[in-house]
Amino acid sequence: MFEKTDEQLIAKALKGNKQAWLNLLKRYEKQIYHYGMRMTGKNEDAMDLMQEVFISVFRNLSTYRNEGSFKSWMFRIAHYRCIEFYRRKKPMQGLDDTPEIESEAMSAADSIHTSQENKQLISAMQQLPLAQKALVELKFFGQFTFDEIAEQTGISANTAKSRLYGALEKLKTLIEVDYA
Amino acid sequence: MPKHESQSGGAQPDELRISQSELSHEQLFGLWVDQQLNDQQRHEFEQRCLENEPFAEKIQTFNMFSMQSEHYQSDEVPSWDRVSTFDTPEKVKWWQWQGLPTLSFATSMLAIVMVLTGLQVQTNDGAVTISFTGKQSERKIDNLVNDRLEEFQKTQQLALTNYTQTIQQQQMDTSTQLTQYLLGASRKERREDFAELIKYVNEQRSDDQLFYVRQLNQLQKDIYAEPDLIGSGNINE
Repeated sequence: MFEKTDEQLIAKALKGNKQAWLNLLKRYEKQIYHYGMRMTGKNEDAMDLMQEVFISVFRNLSTYRNEGSFKSWMFRIAHYRCIEFYRRKKPMQGLDDTPEIESEAMSAADSIHTSQENKQLISAMQQLPLAQKALVELKFFGQFTFDEIAEQTGISANTAKSRLYGALEKLKTLIEVDYA
Repeated sequence: MPKHESQSGGAQPDELRISQSELSHEQLFGLWVDQQLNDQQRHEFEQRCLENEPFAEKIQTFNMFSMQSEHYQSDEVPSWDRVSTFDTPEKVKWWQWQGLPTLSFATSMLAIVMVLTGLQVQTNDGAVTISFTGKQSERKIDNLVNDRLEEFQKTQQLALTNYTQTIQQQQMDTSTQLTQYLLGASRKERREDFAELIKYVNEQRSDDQLFYVRQLNQLQKDIYAEPDLIGSGNINE
């Protein structure tokens, strides 16, 4: 049996077909969940963020115009929900500020849902400022081009390149520490 | 990890114009990551990797992190309430109909216009009268005023008559009461005066009797005290 495309599922969901929406959700929930895990470092926060993202996606589903991939459109929403999430959690922290290392955040990677390799990677990412972390996430895990990243995050492609380049400097140290 | 294939045909025309020396580390890095290096840029990239250690380290970090990210294990999502995201808007109730405010506004405007234009709708037998300016005929108003005045006059006359009768009755009652009081009071006074007189007379008589008793006693005493004198006729008093 042929699998329905995103657009077909969206059209059905917009007509109130719950099953179509759930199929669409299941298709992307893993990506969004792990996006949340890497961006927040905590399983509970990742779950909350995932729920917020999908609620937001559903509410805005009618505005999706098939321009670009659905995944790209969804990750743009996820990015903005993630920023809102951070602002709620840490209102005093800017997007370019280096986060304070929280013992809670570091230990969160010990969650039962996280393997050892994932733990190192998530821990390293938690020490990047949100703006750089978003770039690393979208580039390495989202596999988006710089132009797509620029469109999703509302910055220029050159800024995206500079941010990723800057993030690598910090990641180098963090990875070295992890492997030491 | 990006594949380093030569893409001379796919490179952007403006990028081709950029000379080697003009490309910054970030730009070259960006082209490499997005696999958009042409032959010349690719050569420049390899050159920098050999000659520029910080640049080479960043590329190495990129590759390392890229490898790690490939080994990232996407575990299953813990169970969660997926249905809660199916947030269908509730059907709008008839009283929440969006046109209601417009309709109420329109009817309000209609009412204002009707008042301003002085709408008059009159049917006699059907008894439907809608009037906003109240332009009734002068005669009608006069009749109405006269009727009212007449009615008012009658009421006032009746009230005045009643008031007069009440006052008269009240005055008569008061006069009667006063007369009775005066008569009663004078009788009582006379009775008291007579009683006082009789008392006085009785007291006088009592005093006289007492006086006579004393006189008689004195006489008797005198008689018994000097019997000789009685014969001689020298009895005093």
